Formats: sequence, structure tokens, C-alpha cells
Amino acid sequence: MAKNKRDPFYQRLAGGFNEYFRMFREGDAWTRLSYLIMGAGSFARGQIVKGLLFLSGEAAFVWFYAAFGWRYLKDFGSLGTNAQLRVWDEIDEVYRRVPGDNSMLILLYSVLTLAAILPLVMLWKANVRAAFKAQKIRESKQKPPGFITDLRTLLDSRFHMTLLSFPMVTLALFTALPIVFMVLIAFTNFDKAHQPPGSLFSWTGLANIRGVISSNPLYARSFGGILGWTFVWAVFATFSNYILGIVLALMINKKGIRLKRMWRTIFVTTIAIPQFVSLMLVSKMFTDTGVVNVILQRLRVVNSPIPFLTDANWARVMVIMVNIWVGIPYTMLMSTGILMNIPAELYESASIDGATPIQTFVSITMPYMLFVTGPYLITTFVGNINNFNVIYLLTAGGPATLDYYQGGKTDLLVTWLYKLTVNEQNYSLASTIGIFIFVIVAALSLTVYNLTGSVKKEDQFS
Amino acid sequence: MNTRKLTSIALAALLALGAMPGLADTVTLKVWGSQDNQALLGELVEEFKAANPGVEWDIALGVVSEADAQTRYSEDPAAAADIFAFANDQLRTLVSADSLSEIAGSRYEAVAAANTAGSVESATLDGTLYGFPMTADNGYFLYYDKSVFSAEDVLSLDKMLEVASAAGKKVFMDVSNGWYIASFFLGAGCVLDIGPDGKQVCDFNSPKGLAAAEAIRKFTADPAFLTGDDSVLQGGMGGSIAAGVSGTWNATAMQDKLGENYAAAPLPSFTCGGEQKHMASFIGTKLLGVNSLSANVKEAMLLAEHITGEAAQLRFFEQRALGPTNIAAAGNPAVLEDIALAALSAQSAWGVSQKNVLNGYWGPAEAFGLEMENKSTADLQGLLDQLVSQVTQ
Repeated sequence: MAKNKRDPFYQRLAGGFNEYFRMFREGDAWTRLSYLIMGAGSFARGQIVKGLLFLSGEAAFVWFYAAFGWRYLKDFGSLGTNAQLRVWDEIDEVYRRVPGDNSMLILLYSVLTLAAILPLVMLWKANVRAAFKAQKIRESKQKPPGFITDLRTLLDSRFHMTLLSFPMVTLALFTALPIVFMVLIAFTNFDKAHQPPGSLFSWTGLANIRGVISSNPLYARSFGGILGWTFVWAVFATFSNYILGIVLALMINKKGIRLKRMWRTIFVTTIAIPQFVSLMLVSKMFTDTGVVNVILQRLRVVNSPIPFLTDANWARVMVIMVNIWVGIPYTMLMSTGILMNIPAELYESASIDGATPIQTFVSITMPYMLFVTGPYLITTFVGNINNFNVIYLLTAGGPATLDYYQGGKTDLLVTWLYKLTVNEQNYSLASTIGIFIFVIVAALSLTVYNLTGSVKKEDQFS
Repeated sequence: MNTRKLTSIALAALLALGAMPGLADTVTLKVWGSQDNQALLGELVEEFKAANPGVEWDIALGVVSEADAQTRYSEDPAAAADIFAFANDQLRTLVSADSLSEIAGSRYEAVAAANTAGSVESATLDGTLYGFPMTADNGYFLYYDKSVFSAEDVLSLDKMLEVASAAGKKVFMDVSNGWYIASFFLGAGCVLDIGPDGKQVCDFNSPKGLAAAEAIRKFTADPAFLTGDDSVLQGGMGGSIAAGVSGTWNATAMQDKLGENYAAAPLPSFTCGGEQKHMASFIGTKLLGVNSLSANVKEAMLLAEHITGEAAQLRFFEQRALGPTNIAAAGNPAVLEDIALAALSAQSAWGVSQKNVLNGYWGPAEAFGLEMENKSTADLQGLLDQLVSQVTQ
């Protein structure tokens, strides 16, 4: 990577502007006109189709703003002031609604409208560059390329554009824009008391973020507690599966173990049953009157039911245990392949040196595994921070507690967020928590990823 | 798509078409009801179509339980059903989002006259009627085994626990559920209401509430106490369970399990701060609401009227054992003889309307119930203060 050649951001920005000032200075009247009326330069040099495309792009943009975008964008600051009205219909004896403003639609379409500026800027830049280039070509007494020639380059020198344009557009429309929209909700009071179209919501600035961090003690305490458990869970869920999966794979791979295929098949069959089915069944098995407690009581192991899912500590242990049960087969399968790739000479020389099995595991197997699976571990860890399925289907975040706002003792941030959205309609708080989750996860994975052996010693992989 | 535009176009189209008499146009309606009611709703819709010829009806049924209606509605009001059944505790949330079309004019007169005053009140907010009362059975009472308890035993919780212990049986109540646990607090005279600012008012941490909480702690610590969900009650009734607090949806299961010994009664009284207090209960109705954003409000109202009429309510009773709100239907001999509905109706004297409970109540109340069931030794006043601060958040 050529990091040192990169200019700081603002220099590049200034450089970008300078180029367009330079082209304006050096351009003739037509090129200069292109700065205002897109396609003018292309028309003047005989590139009619190209000019039409630029011009229609500009016209489409103006039409979009006048006919659609502006209606929403003008209310972007207030997010709407008039809730819908009702009008009495004498004949049918019903109230009919007269649509008013809808904060959510205003926010949504404003984001869309603002985002529409981006393609315009790109088109405008292309238009100026095209005008300037055509002017230069004319000045050198040559004919600028026609539309067909330009199109051909899309299959040749600009083939990457042809391939990437569709994914880029869909990515922007279906991923980037919704994210911006949802991030913005964190700065509003979109909650159960402000549900459009009946009652509108408005901007509240950083109130939600302050609430989670400090100003609302209950939110802050809930967030801190749930965040803490989320990390405990992620660490245990990730590493228990990882290490036990490797141990299981090692045991099955060991020389002298018979029926290796059968053992592997048995463990893999748990994958065959959909995870949510297993989880729902297990959650039934461990209730106070579930099969496990009944058996334990019949065998006189315990006198009263063990509160597997209703006591905070038990429930936390249970979700980790059950996660091991549903997760180990995957690690086992993956590590079986990697373990077979560890050079046998390493083990041979270790045994000649008199290393114990534990020493070999710690000094040869684990470092090798960690080197290969470092990035995998990070994705699993991040996946576990957001592991909705296991928690929600097993305990639904319970046991409920009075310590947390509408949360339970096994709630992860993501299941808490789900409850806040679905049960409480507190979209703004949920969105705020979503931002926090993103920041935490992104910071953590980037840091750890850059520290892994797979990245630092990229070229040393043998 | 621009829903605003769509709605206004649809409205305009409707008005234009309405102005042209005799023209057969298509009216599209979507109805949400619970899974168990689908068959009957289907029949009622067919009848409605037959009774209203001259219109091309396109009526679709969807499965959304009464408990989920508000949640599903708020996901996308414009795409939600035109008519949906909901439990009346969601009334306030739905009205604050302006989701329900008001029932007014002569239609209001008709509904108010045909249904019990309590059920009409349960659908009314600030003097406006927002839903058609459908069933009046969203409440709970006591099922018991006649071979274990006498009719006198079930008047007092203390006595019941004593008898059950002696017989080696259990008394079932899902205390870790805000709906049931409120029985003690409300019975003790605590208040769960809506304040002028629209926030929940709750005084469960008052001395009265503390006395109720002590009663709950004593109840959950009793060896004869058993908690769990419906499946536990359905599985154990007649066997290890001799009495259980539940509602009419379990009537058939209880009858099957208990046979000859099937009996139901209002909730018992409990010892609260040295006094005997009768356990209260939430009393709720299921309502049929018309989406305020419906393109066919008038037609939706007509269909809703049909689904909640006297004949329809009787069939809901016959096929689904649901209690009618319609005065004529409720006076039907078959309804009056129903053991479960009779118990529910007797319990309604201690009923507290559920429409004044906001969503934020259920989670903390469940948490408090869990603390009790887990025999927590924490300071009760502290727990109640936490409960109240969460509920009134």
C-alpha cells in the first residue's frame, strides 16, 4: 500500500476544486456555459447524444426537486407541523382522514432527495470534463469521439464501470440510504408518544445519546449492564465453541480412534436440525416443569425445580452451554480441515524432544490454528455480540429484571434493541443503541483485525 | 411509493365512484383476526358478501392475534388491515397514533344500545367510541377441582392453600406475569391509571402496595404454590393441580381435564395487612377496529358491524366459547349457563379496566413477579420503588 503518496483529505479536496477552476479559466464560452447548462459544451462540439443525456440529467434533477423532493425537503427542519385531520362525512356517517404531514415520510424522502444531489454532482463533473476535453480535441483540429465510440469504451477501457454500476446503485439505495435514515432517527423523539401520522416527531439533537450515557440514570444503568453481559457472553460463546470444537476435532482425528466418520456424522447431525427448532425445544425442556426438572426430581437429585431459565446466573450459564451445544459442530468441521494441514514433522520433532500432549497443543496446534483462523474468530466474536437467535429463542432475554429498563438479565444489546422497537415503539432510543453497537463493534474488529498474525505476517503464510 | 398520494387518489376515486349509483365497483378489504377465529370470520365474510350484492367484494383474511394487532399495525399503518381485532388495552396507543376510525352518529347510537355499558366504555376514550365490542372475556378467574375444594374453600386464598397442602395438590397462578400479579395490588386498592400528561400513574410502592407485595411473597413461598404458563395448567389440572387462575380460553381444556369435577368461581380473597381483600382482576374486551387510513371506511364499518352483531356473537360463543358483549346475545340461556362465563361475570365486580395500562407496565411487573417466584430476599419496598420508577418512566 502506497500510504505515503496519499495527500491528506483536504488537500485532495482542494486539488479537486482547483482542477475545475483551471478548466473554467482555460475553457471557452461553451465550456464555461457547461458549468451552468449541462451538455452545452458537448452540443457545441457536435456530440449531440452526449449533450442530450447531460441536459436531460439536469432537467430530470430539477423536475425531481420541483415535483417531489422539495415538498418533503422544505419540512426537513421541523419534520412536519400539521398532523392529519379528520373530516365528518355526513352521508356515510364516518370520519374521513385528510392527510397531513408525516414526519417519517418527510425524513425518509428528505434523505432520498438530499442523496439525489450526489449523482447530479457526479454528472456535472463528467459534463465539465467532457466539455473541456472536447474543446481541447477541437483545438487540436481533431473530431471528438461520437456517442457510439463512447459507449464502446464501456465494454473495453471502462469495463469496470459497466460491471460495478449496478451493484453500486443498489448498495447506495438499499444499504447506505436506509442506514443514514435510521441513524438520523437517533436524533429525534420518535417513540410511542410520537407516532406519525397521528402525532408527529421532531428533532431533539443529542438528547437520546446523552440519555444513554448519563442524563437518564435508568437508561444509562441498563445500557451499561447489558453491554457488560454482551461482552461476557461474546467472549464465552466465541472461545468456548472455538476451543472445545478444536479439542473435539483433535479427539476424533487422534490415531487409534475407530469409526471416525460415524463420530463426525453424529456431531454434524445437530446442524441438520434448524437451529431455532432445537433452541425452542431446549427452552421448553429447561422450564420449571420441563422434562429435565421432572427427571431430576423423580431421581431425587433435587427437591424443588432448578430455576434454569428464571434465575439470572443459571440462565446465563444455560445460554452459554446451549450455545456450545449448537455451535461446536461448526468449529469441529472447520478445524478438522485445518488440523490435517499442520505439517506432521512439527509433531514428530516435538515428540522426539519429549513434549507432552498439552505442550504440543499449546505450542504447535493453537498458534497454527490462531494464525489461520484469526479473522474467523473476529467475525464470530462480532456475530456473537449480535447473536439474536440463541438468546431470543432460548430465554427471550429473560429473566426480566427491575434493574434494566424493559430488559432482562440475558438480554444482549441487540435483543434489548428489538424489545424497545417492537414492544415499546421507542425507535429513537433503539436507533441510538444501534449506533453505539456499531461504534463498539467497528472499533473492536478493526483494532483486533490489524493485530492478528494473519494481517501482520500476511506474506509469511506457509 | 408516496403513500400520501396513493391515499388521496384512493379517496378521490372512492368519492367519485360513490357518486355514480348502480355501478358495480370492487371494494377491497383486509381483515385481521386470530388464528382460532379464522374459520368463523370466513363464514361471516361470505354472509356479508351475500347480504350486500351489487358490489364486487374482495375481502381477504389475515392471521394476526388480538394481542399483536397494535404492534403489527404500527409496522406500516397504510399496509395494515382495514378491520382488525385487538385487545382493548391497546386502545390508547392506537388512538394516540390516530389509527382508529371513530364510530359516531347513528352508528354510535346503535352500537351503544346493543352492547353492555362496560364493553362500550372499554372501547371509549375521552368520550369517543373507537371500536366495535366483540367479546367480553379478556379476564381471569378461578378454575377448581370440586373433589378437592368446596364452594366455601374457594372464597379464601389462605383456606385454599391449606386444603391444597393437605391434599398434596397445587394452586396455580402465573405470578411472573403483569396481567395476573396486578390482581393483588389492585385488590389491595392500588391505582394503575393514566395521568393528565399521558404517562402511567402507579402507586404500587405505597403502604397498600407493600402489604399486597408481602401477601404475594407469602403466596409464592407456600409449598402449594405453582407457577408456569398455560401449558403447565393444561397439563397438570386434575392431576397435581387442584385450582388455577386463568381465563375462558382454557375453559374447554379445563372441562376435559376435570370432567365431573369441573368448577369455576370468582377469585378468592387474600390476607393483606391483616385484612381480607378480594383479589381484583384486569377486565378487558376484544374490539374490532376500523383502520382510519382505510380507503373504504364506510364499507369497513358495515362489515365490522356484521362481525360484531348479535347473531355473530352467539356463534363466537357456540364455536369458540367467547363471551358476548351484545346484550341480547349475553342474555341467551346457553350463555347464562356457561360455568366459566358465569365466574367471569361474577369476578367483573372486582374488575379493573385494562385500557389504562401502558405497554411499559408489563416488563417491570413480570420482573417483580419473577423476584417473588425466585423467593428473593430483597427489600420489598426497594423492589416496589424500582417497579414504580420503571412503570412511570
